[in-house]
Amino acid sequence: MTHTAADPAKPDPVDLAVFQSAVHSIAEEMGAALRRTALSPNIKERRDYSCAIFDGLGRVIAMGDHMPVHLGSMPMSVQAAVAAMAFAPGDIAILNDPYAGGTHLPDITMVLPVFLPSHDQPAFYVSNRAHHADVGGAFPGSMGPAREIFQEGIRIPPVRIVRGGNLDREMLDLILMNVRTPQEREGDLASQIGACRVGEQRMLQLAEKYGEQNLQPLVEELLDYSERLVRAELRTMPAGDFSAEDWLDDDGVTAVPRRITVRLRFDPAAASLNIDFSGSSPQVAGSVNAVRAITLSACFYMLRCLLREDAPATAGILGPLRLETPSGSIVDALPPAPVAGGNVETSQRIVDVLLRALAQAVPGRVPSASAGTMSNLTIGGVDPRTGEPFTYYETTAGGMGARPGIDGVSGVQTHMTNSLNTPIEALEYAYPLRVRRYAYRDGSGGAGQFRGGDGLIREVEMLADAQVTLLADRRKFRPYGLQSGEDGAPGGAWVLKAGTTEETEIPGKWTQRLSKGDILHIETPGGGGWGKR
Amino acid sequence: MRCRDTTIRERTHLRVAIDTGGTFTDCVYLAAGKLHVLKVFSTPADPSLAVLDCLAQTGEQSAFDLRHGTTVGTNTMLERKGARVAFVTTAGFEDTIAIGRQTRSRLYDWFAPLPNCLVPRELRFGVPERVSAEGEILRTPTEGELDALVNALRHSGAEAIAISLLFSFANPETERRAEAALRCLGLPISTSHRILPEFREYERASTTVVNAYLAPPMQNYLLQLERCVTKQYPGSRVDVMQSSGGIIPARLAAQEPARTVLSGPAGGVIGACHVARLAGFERIIGFDMGGTSTDVFLADSAAGGAQRTNESVVAGVPISLPMLDIHTAGAGGGSIARFDAGGMLRVGPGSAGADPGPICFGRGTLPTVTDAQLLLGRLDPESFLDGGVQLDSQSTRQIMREQKSSLATVEDFSVGILRVVDTQMEKAIRVISVERGYNPREFTLVAFGGGGPLHACSLARALRIPKVLIPAMPGALSAVGILLADLVRDYSRTVMLAENAIESIRDTFAEMEQLAATEFSREGLQGTALRSIDIRYRRQGYELNVPYASPASAVEAFHRLHQQRYGFSDAYKPVEIVNLRLRIIAAAEPWSPAYQEPVPGDGHVALYAERPIFFDGKFLPSRLYRREAFSPGDAIPGPAMITEYTSATLLPPGCRAQVDSYRNIVITVPA
Repeated sequence: MTHTAADPAKPDPVDLAVFQSAVHSIAEEMGAALRRTALSPNIKERRDYSCAIFDGLGRVIAMGDHMPVHLGSMPMSVQAAVAAMAFAPGDIAILNDPYAGGTHLPDITMVLPVFLPSHDQPAFYVSNRAHHADVGGAFPGSMGPAREIFQEGIRIPPVRIVRGGNLDREMLDLILMNVRTPQEREGDLASQIGACRVGEQRMLQLAEKYGEQNLQPLVEELLDYSERLVRAELRTMPAGDFSAEDWLDDDGVTAVPRRITVRLRFDPAAASLNIDFSGSSPQVAGSVNAVRAITLSACFYMLRCLLREDAPATAGILGPLRLETPSGSIVDALPPAPVAGGNVETSQRIVDVLLRALAQAVPGRVPSASAGTMSNLTIGGVDPRTGEPFTYYETTAGGMGARPGIDGVSGVQTHMTNSLNTPIEALEYAYPLRVRRYAYRDGSGGAGQFRGGDGLIREVEMLADAQVTLLADRRKFRPYGLQSGEDGAPGGAWVLKAGTTEETEIPGKWTQRLSKGDILHIETPGGGGWGKR
Repeated sequence: MRCRDTTIRERTHLRVAIDTGGTFTDCVYLAAGKLHVLKVFSTPADPSLAVLDCLAQTGEQSAFDLRHGTTVGTNTMLERKGARVAFVTTAGFEDTIAIGRQTRSRLYDWFAPLPNCLVPRELRFGVPERVSAEGEILRTPTEGELDALVNALRHSGAEAIAISLLFSFANPETERRAEAALRCLGLPISTSHRILPEFREYERASTTVVNAYLAPPMQNYLLQLERCVTKQYPGSRVDVMQSSGGIIPARLAAQEPARTVLSGPAGGVIGACHVARLAGFERIIGFDMGGTSTDVFLADSAAGGAQRTNESVVAGVPISLPMLDIHTAGAGGGSIARFDAGGMLRVGPGSAGADPGPICFGRGTLPTVTDAQLLLGRLDPESFLDGGVQLDSQSTRQIMREQKSSLATVEDFSVGILRVVDTQMEKAIRVISVERGYNPREFTLVAFGGGGPLHACSLARALRIPKVLIPAMPGALSAVGILLADLVRDYSRTVMLAENAIESIRDTFAEMEQLAATEFSREGLQGTALRSIDIRYRRQGYELNVPYASPASAVEAFHRLHQQRYGFSDAYKPVEIVNLRLRIIAAAEPWSPAYQEPVPGDGHVALYAERPIFFDGKFLPSRLYRREAFSPGDAIPGPAMITEYTSATLLPPGCRAQVDSYRNIVITVPA
């Protein structure tokens, strides 16, 4: 190892670059392994997963470019697992508890401690998280309008799924007994275990290559480096407080709008940022409660987008950030509040609020609001072709907010998600469904000097009776425009019963049993415009 | 090539391969068993001029078997200069060609540019029709509806048509009807059930659109080239290299230009495989480092040669046809090094290109990989491009010193730049090896391109690859590959069948073979058919390709391959057959370069200088050799450098190079 002239003990800019690349490629390799071996279309086709590497203190040092909503929450899951159990070599922990760093129950996380030969404590942890199409609960797909987390599916605290290298069959059976599609779950869980082992092997090789004693200084330098990047950016921000608020339409139980409010305090002299969500609504009866991990992910995401460099996602990025969230609120929920929608809906609104405040500080660098809802659709039932249960989950993209200087993109995933659509031909093979229309929703983007992107229209026909659940927002409160740009059009959904001609409008948060031949019609919001037309 | 009139043709025809590159057009041909190499300047405005120039320079007057690697397809895609394509699909799905997979390419960039769809909004047309997953026609367009479609297209200004209806591979009848109705417009038509009869509608449609987009320019180019060549050299034939590494007649290539988008790079892969096999290496990792980027690929004779993929993205557009699996890293000799706001050293993706170029070329002001090599003594100022470019060490040293940040010396800075760029190369090689279930230690690294041989040994050491091969004629490897490639045509069809219905694929295979035989005989060719199937565990999202001899053997091979690739398999789990694949091959006539008996030697004839080169922290006295002066059997130890016109091979201490009977350099790298 070469050293800098200034401080002979500190890794130099070259060692840093080589090490950063090495750990990042391990996270990417885990992701490739997970995707290739997974059973469900949700992981392979939609790529709804994340992989990351942590040091012995549970600080994230590398994360694959996967799902932004996992940025801040994966670390909290790993910390929860580390706190809860005394790991032995060959163990793998499993958890999905949103109140232990999770996001919502369908996101199942695995954590493997990496023991180096001369240590009795883990020197690293490797972890991955994947969205499972069903984890039990009251509604197929586990994303329904629950009132308590207990109705949302099986809740798994940090426990061992692999002990001393051997699969804990009893634990696995307990989990599989509680879900609707156990075979598919078993396959996906097996690929998560396999991906953990890929990460472990590669970390052991890395330790051998570098020498165990040389790793920790590199880890510290990598974390320092990320923090330096963020601080350099924060020094360029205007000093002061910038506040904003935005609303969720409702919680799916009552029609009362729910407020999210934020104050950004930039201190360029100290190169720091204080984010305070005081004033946000208390937690609610419906499922749109976000746990603190999600709010942290949204802040992480905003900081990362602000950086001009393609910065590695490490714990160092959060160094200059102080985050305050009122406990028991919609941005920091406490058990037993249901949380399925917090991950997919509230997370997007938190980003909207953060960006609205940020746009006051640096107007030329921030886009108008994007669709602000993932328009989650879950359909479950029995496939008449095979007699087997099925669960289908999909998010439909909307319009991207206009950017200063460039229109928003139409029909594209924004901010906290980037999952792919399921090919229509793949989904019609796999499920008793028929897609009847998939198109841009013309004119839904907000007008302005630069136009917001248009939303999408998607129509799905049931080829069997099925329980259908929609979880969407931005019906009443439209995606905002900035600098006098117009708001984007709100979303909507309708059901056309078989044999009739009248469409019934349905609310954003809704579940019902539909019959064979019924058609669901979804329209997603457009993005806000930017600048006066 | 096994042709019907083999005996007559082979005696009178001269086989020649011509590969169009950015700067040079390379030509190789066989005359009297000997390989000749020509290089002429490319003629970008009309690439065929350089091709005809090459033919003239051979001095032959006989008919040619011309095999061509072309960049017309790639450049048309990159420059977005293809035809105005009308996209015809199932009504209600017209926008799907633009929506794609509804993802954004840059996760943390709020200012990513708008995507550039090949089909503008006003050229997307819907047909009221629907086929089910099972191939049942649920709705078929009336004649009136088809007439309306024809009228709408007639006034659209379209120059080519792409038709891709939902589930057309399961039942192509409606697609055929639409095609028949649109014929009267006299435009080139690409239909998805012919181009790519496989499921996943966006990728199929995108591939079909690419085909239509390239059809007019490629037809113009190839058919005109064929006319010129056959006029000047009567009786000649023209074939084209496909992205899959197989040759195809020009007339078929003109119909299916989507198959030739990566024509040139495919030649390099096939060339490297041939040269390596002759030298006795069956499993190779190719490493082709250029000025702005680096291509890597993997080939294993036991696993069907060079790895192919059906999931390529070219110039931002998915093409799901079989292509050689070439992975590109965004760093090369011209990549710029800089320290970012957090103080980390970064190399690339910015490149100094040809203008201003690296500092040492005289105009650049930003340090590049090439500058780092120069300061460490790894470029020989005199022999670089035969002295055609003056390298300015002094100002390079001065500018590098000013920009070295906290690093102690310019040598530390230079070593650092090379370490960072090697790390990126290593990452790229891991993607095509480790991530695909291969251990790089079991492979030989075949290095070419301007920078490959300079970086090969350090890269091999990092990946624990024991041998490095620097092929003879590195500048013409791509043309050699085109010359020696087999004639190949690929067919596929999605069937999506459960394991217990596997018997029924025999009929589908027979149908595909019938079609293949008809198309081949039209070109006067005969080939051998290879059957394979894409298979997966039921409901799995990913399929594996295995050879198909019998249902039982294919299923067994699948379980084995799954175990090898992913570390688990389950013989009791039900499988499903996703796609059938048929590959027709007419093998090219084999050719071996002249074998020269090796005579043990120390290469002293080739030795021309001794200079200090920086290795492992200090400058070591190192010998410089001229490659062309080596004889088979010469062996030299590192530290040394072997120079040639376009490249140089660096031999670190501990490594040993040997010149083999075909003038390749084989390097042993200690573990």
